[in-house]
Amino acid sequence: MVVPPVVLMASENTEREGDVLGLGPKERVRWAKGLDLPRGPVNGTIFYAGEVYPIMGYAEGAFRMMSRLKLDLNSMAKVAPLFKKLGIYRVVARASWSSLNSRYEKALKDAVYVLKKLDVKFGYLYEDEPPSGIALHTYGLLEDFKRYASEVAAKFRELGVSKIITLDPIAATAFKHYYPVFTEFNVKVEHFVQVVARRMAETGAKASLRRKVRVTYHDPCYLARVMGVVDEVRYVLSRLDGVELIEPERHGVNTGCSGDGGLELTQPELARKVSYERVKELAETGASLTLTSCPACIMMLRVGFDDLSIKMDVLDLASLVAEAFRNRLEFEGPQEVSFKEYKVLPDTLRWDLSNLGERLREYTDLCKKCGFCNAVCPTAQALDRLESRSARGRMTLINALVRGEPLSSEKVLDRLYSCVLCGSCSQTCPVGLHVQEIIVYGRAYAIMTGRV
Amino acid sequence: MDVIKELKGELGEKVLTEPEDIYAYVTDASNVLRQVPLAVVRAYSTEDVSKVLRIANETSTPVVVRGGGTSLTGASVPVKGGILLDVTPMDGIEVNVDDGWVMAEAGATVAKVDQECRKYGYFFPPDPASSRYATIGAALAENAGGLRGAKYGVMKNWVLSLEVVIPGGEVLRIGKPLYKWRWGPDLISLFIGSEGTLGVITKAWLRIYPLPEKVVRILGLFNSLEDAGRAIFEIRRSGILPTMLELLDDESVNIVREQSGLDIPETEAMIIVDVDGPKEAVWRLANQVTEIIGRNGGKAEASDDPEEMKRLYAVRQGIYAAVTRTYKGVLIEDVVFPVSKLVEALREIKKIKEKYGLPMPTFGHAGDGNLHPNICYDPDDPEQVKKAEEMFREVALLAIRMGGSLSGEHGIGLTKKELLVEELKSVNSLGYLKLVKEIKRVLDPKGIMNPGKLYP
Repeated sequence: MVVPPVVLMASENTEREGDVLGLGPKERVRWAKGLDLPRGPVNGTIFYAGEVYPIMGYAEGAFRMMSRLKLDLNSMAKVAPLFKKLGIYRVVARASWSSLNSRYEKALKDAVYVLKKLDVKFGYLYEDEPPSGIALHTYGLLEDFKRYASEVAAKFRELGVSKIITLDPIAATAFKHYYPVFTEFNVKVEHFVQVVARRMAETGAKASLRRKVRVTYHDPCYLARVMGVVDEVRYVLSRLDGVELIEPERHGVNTGCSGDGGLELTQPELARKVSYERVKELAETGASLTLTSCPACIMMLRVGFDDLSIKMDVLDLASLVAEAFRNRLEFEGPQEVSFKEYKVLPDTLRWDLSNLGERLREYTDLCKKCGFCNAVCPTAQALDRLESRSARGRMTLINALVRGEPLSSEKVLDRLYSCVLCGSCSQTCPVGLHVQEIIVYGRAYAIMTGRV
Repeated sequence: MDVIKELKGELGEKVLTEPEDIYAYVTDASNVLRQVPLAVVRAYSTEDVSKVLRIANETSTPVVVRGGGTSLTGASVPVKGGILLDVTPMDGIEVNVDDGWVMAEAGATVAKVDQECRKYGYFFPPDPASSRYATIGAALAENAGGLRGAKYGVMKNWVLSLEVVIPGGEVLRIGKPLYKWRWGPDLISLFIGSEGTLGVITKAWLRIYPLPEKVVRILGLFNSLEDAGRAIFEIRRSGILPTMLELLDDESVNIVREQSGLDIPETEAMIIVDVDGPKEAVWRLANQVTEIIGRNGGKAEASDDPEEMKRLYAVRQGIYAAVTRTYKGVLIEDVVFPVSKLVEALREIKKIKEKYGLPMPTFGHAGDGNLHPNICYDPDDPEQVKKAEEMFREVALLAIRMGGSLSGEHGIGLTKKELLVEELKSVNSLGYLKLVKEIKRVLDPKGIMNPGKLYP
């Protein structure tokens, strides 16, 4: 098996328990306690919490502990099943990091509060909510993802779900961009901020904070670059009195990476390095609060700021909106606003898994090696432009692997796993290659044909 | 003596030998030849470079220096194996406005150097298209140019002083970061354009220039190439020196229109002119250019608004993407003609295109006569590959015949070394080659530096 133990653990956990840590559905619905959300879809619509937000604090706790104790994730992953069997992990997580987790749980609660205030109708599936399984896609376990996605699609059909509103841009991307490629799927998906911006425009909602705050906003790649959602965030913030937004140098569809995208699990030290570039840029804005809309980004930004001893609070956008709504909310009547859906990436690749080698050969042959992607590749920058862990280098390695050069799939996979999948390469490629997705398919190829 | 063992002993983890690392370095933006190096060394300092050149010399191991790997002529492909010396980790930059220079280490990107200067109201003018990833050391070794060459020249025009490491590991300083110094023959120029065959440039002190107060961009569309040519000559005769003067033929414009869906009128030739200067004066110059374009049968549009300027530049900006998206194989030519012969050259280039029947959108820097015919072909069709190679050769020979040169800014590398002989013959100067080879022997007696490149 060429897949490293930590990815194996994450994928097994995802398949069995629905989340990377293997905490299971009981933990994942804890955030909704006391909210009295209607069970099941309302007019076909659900609020989807997903498998990341509800447990992100436990992940952050584990991430920080592991690096403090200098523990290697891969050796830990080997003994993890034992811990899990004994139920130790869950106990440790609950005992150590509940308060850390409550910050992420609060984002979900705040999102629900805001939606309700705007009169959006939805239900919640509780333990029945099927996790998106995005980790399987991220790590290139595409055969598993394909099967998994079709099960999830069936479940949504069975439960009568036709529309998903989610705070999690990773799940939104999975449902909107990857599910339709791998299975039959026609559930409508919207990110929280899309719904909120539209409803705020329709009602002319205006709120104000009790405090004055200079904020900066970190656009998550999944939301801005993949989903094209940029304007909505700015509109929502412009309707909150007391908030001054200062954009960092890279923002909107040209956002920079905070070091997640799965890298935080496979190569945590590199993930940290990537986050440093970004947190420095965010700090340069002079803001005292960084907002964002992705649980994994929240975690990596928090870690980055702490590592560099920069005093900066990181908050989910939903939480700031809720804070303002709770303080004062008025409705001024319909506003004329339009939100552009940005399209900066090539279309999602629809490749058959049965002839991946051919496809990869064809596409990586088209790469001109111009290096434009490397100029924007966050891991290339973080590693002093080490070619083998840069966007262009990964294309060259995939090409060499499918050409049958004497390379170890396991070690090539290690280079491919050094990617954060931020998509800036795909956005920049003059040839129009979807480099980011080619890397995901490259992972799949290395796994499927694995030679050590 | 085991090279790898020696290298690892001296440089430890900076030496990469795992195939899964070194296979990433098998080619550059020339993208033709692939060759696997013995090892990759990541240099973090001049000292690292010195160690590598000492060990390589002792063991007669080839050394290929690599920056961003953006060479279009194969300069950084390790054709004879050996050590691939990656200098990208050494990327320090220091700006000294009072003394008028920027110091850049070899691995700093050209764009970053420019950006740093801009923080002080200055800029670094040479701007090769690859500047966001191309490095200073490599841009000097290739004597790269760029769009602003029309007014500001190429890399060699901006060097005050160099630090170089020569085979054996000795570190030399050539000159000082002063605007005037005299040490005898100018050895700076010896290393400029040497394509890594004489030594390794590790640091450079470069001149900087105050940022122009204002730039105005003018787009001109012409119904005939001759009209465009006349306009270009008249701009020169009127004493205006544009920052940038780009020329695109109809095929280039058409291919961008098809690929991008941009609304671009039919035209036989397009020029894009930037003029810069004090804000009180620049529009006067721009209006003069606009009038010249009109007088010569063209239609002009001018703006100093950043967004509008982007729009006027969209075709030139999109050409590389449009060509690479339309055709699988592209050979990018890089020839120079005397500016006075540009129109004639473009007519001749059209004839070559008709003779071979392959697409060849042609555009370039008309301000300095540097054209880039892009020969498009299908790499899977052996007949087309052969045709493309012949066209490549014929275009270069045309430039030589018309008093131009076979390369303006991309260099000789692997792809043009045989053609260099033809150019030297055309000016009865084969002796030049002999002399250069003798100099090379003095500096690099064992022939370890970038073997197989530049010298026929």
